Amino acid sequence: MSFLASRNPSQDAGAHAADFALKGVTRRYGTVTALDDVSLSFAAGSTTALIGGSGAGKSTVLRLLLGLDWPDQGEVRAWGQPLQRQHVLSLRQRVGYVIQEGGLFPHLTVLGNLALQPRYLRWNAQRIGERARELAELTRLPADTLQRYPLELSGGQRQRVALMRGLMLDPDALLLDEPLGALDPIVRHELQDELKQLFAQLRKTVIVVTHDLAEAVWFAERLVLMRDGRVVQQGSYDDLRHRPVDGFVETFVRSQRRLPDDGA
Amino acid sequence: MKHVLLAVFFLLPALAGATSLRIGSKQFTESVVLGELARREALQAGVTVEHKRELGGTAILWSALQHGDIDAYPEYTGTLTQELLKGIDPQADIATLRLRLAPMGIGITDSLGFDDNYAIGMRAQRAGELGIRRISDLSAHPQLRLGFSNEFMDRGDGWPGLRQRYGLAALQPRGLDHTLSYRALASGAVDAIDLYSTDAEIAYYHLSVLEDDRRYFPRYQAVFLYRLALERDAPGFVGALKQLAGRIDEPAMRRMNAEAKLEGQRESDIAARFLGLSPESHDDGFWTRLWHRTREHVGLAAASLALAVLVAVPLGIVAARWRRLGQLVVGLTGVLQTVPSLAMFVFMIPLFGIGAWPALAALFLYSLLPIVRNTHAGLLGIPLEWRESAAALGLPWLTRLRWIELPLATRSILAGIKTASVINVGTATLAALIGAGGYGQPILTGIRLNDIGLILEGAVPAALLAIMVQLLFEGIERWLTPRGLRIVARE
Repeated sequence: MSFLASRNPSQDAGAHAADFALKGVTRRYGTVTALDDVSLSFAAGSTTALIGGSGAGKSTVLRLLLGLDWPDQGEVRAWGQPLQRQHVLSLRQRVGYVIQEGGLFPHLTVLGNLALQPRYLRWNAQRIGERARELAELTRLPADTLQRYPLELSGGQRQRVALMRGLMLDPDALLLDEPLGALDPIVRHELQDELKQLFAQLRKTVIVVTHDLAEAVWFAERLVLMRDGRVVQQGSYDDLRHRPVDGFVETFVRSQRRLPDDGA
Repeated sequence: MKHVLLAVFFLLPALAGATSLRIGSKQFTESVVLGELARREALQAGVTVEHKRELGGTAILWSALQHGDIDAYPEYTGTLTQELLKGIDPQADIATLRLRLAPMGIGITDSLGFDDNYAIGMRAQRAGELGIRRISDLSAHPQLRLGFSNEFMDRGDGWPGLRQRYGLAALQPRGLDHTLSYRALASGAVDAIDLYSTDAEIAYYHLSVLEDDRRYFPRYQAVFLYRLALERDAPGFVGALKQLAGRIDEPAMRRMNAEAKLEGQRESDIAARFLGLSPESHDDGFWTRLWHRTREHVGLAAASLALAVLVAVPLGIVAARWRRLGQLVVGLTGVLQTVPSLAMFVFMIPLFGIGAWPALAALFLYSLLPIVRNTHAGLLGIPLEWRESAAALGLPWLTRLRWIELPLATRSILAGIKTASVINVGTATLAALIGAGGYGQPILTGIRLNDIGLILEGAVPAALLAIMVQLLFEGIERWLTPRGLRIVARE
């Protein structure tokens, strides 16, 4: 891959796909329990989809992995090490994070948004520009949009830029929180294809949060179904479809009507 | 980079102060005339003295004299015995006062030759209708509306004692600015006011002065107070002040007051004529005066705003980051805002003396709240989605603040600075009360002399300046707001 050639050499030594784990993690907000004794692990290089309804705790898992939030009980591990507050900034630089609507900063151009992390790491302008054009090609974003502001872009373009921003430093893992949630169905379908290709190409540890079972199955071999802060079942789509652990799993799978019968 | 430029732009004037001798005067005509007399007499003796005119009330001048911010000012013995010195016989003579003041480092001249006593005045016609000749007659007319100067209302030798001595508890006086009270009396808005026995208006408005039949008001002999150290450091100046003693009788003072207040003559010309000297030339025309005051006014407003920006923006940032501390900071700056502006200026005198510095300090404190609050609100108002995205990029706090959060809060912060600057331009007109000059100076003099033209000479430029500041900030806002925040979302 062309973009791999431009990888930061200093990162190379320690750069390998990440493995993440949650061990007995509980997180409460006031009286609401967002996560209730959750243990999960994500193998290096694997692609996992977290699914479930809203309030199931999916996004909280991602935020804990990034150190944007901390558990009340239990332990979060990344690269085999427990997460520590003083190392959280360097951890975040090795993990790309993409949220619904992209979270692009409106006062900066596309290139300005992409340049935030590299500028902090003192890349020169030429290197930043090269990397941005490389990623524009990879995500099929027209090169002339680099000088535009986020509000001048379409929803699909914004989402591509958000993905590019997550990939700027060629991170070891990619965490996506409803990355396609705000898009219309056609753009969404198109981006689903592209993302799947991309995941296969990049071989990073990918965790994607979605409430759409079809999308989850399309992206990932391994599904984790959550409900009310607990993991209900994890496994392949066939596991969920043919060997549901309880009625909720059955109902959840059945409620996704648009899914074709032969599945993934 | 733009932010740095902006800060430099506001740090314009260096406010330097002169170190020559300074004589102060209170905010009424007689005091200003006496100040001018002292200045000219000193000049005649070869001593150059700066006259800081219209410095507000007794409290300001007394405090300024004690702190050495002025070297002398005209005062009255009654004010000393009743108000300024504690535990002294109200009828104490000047020799007694001199002994009492010496340990405080303050000297006192002999009487200048006239008394300016407090008195109660009514329109002669109205007094005649009601048959009121003496103050004790007032108690039979509880329906009378009294308008007393704020100073008279509050001081021990003013209304509280008068009410007690004459049994006037049924009357409910209102507080008025002394310079406005004659007009209130003439227009019939009030029936009686406090006045001074040398006031020029007594004859002009056909007033009758009520007899103090129970001898309540003490004598108010006019004197100069000065710093005793000057007897050694500037004997010529003290000599000049002493030269004036005994030379001004009551008719002369009343005539000079009338020349200033009713005929609109300059106090410096009046003083010169009294001393038999030729008037000084006044080479400063309208535009020169305007330019001078504009410099003082803009200097005050701009320098205080610049300081406030440098302090308040970081305070706002701190307040947004540490919530508990934030509540404290925003609360404290809010409390500052509730201090009345005149009181704020007076509080600053013991700390900064008189002139530009205390005014600067007071305006600075007033500018804090809008800027702190808008910085705080602007930063906390950034949607969580953007704040978390910034955090998720692994950028440290300061970098996020500089590259992301401050630019997103630009509009709110600028709006706060704009509010502060407009308030500042307005409040700076009060700074003239403590000798800082600016557009407030002609307004003060205009109110004192009942001269609408002079009032407008200060009020109109102040209003125009406020509008220009507003426009300036709209330009700055357009320039500083990132383009990406100005475009409307594409749907």
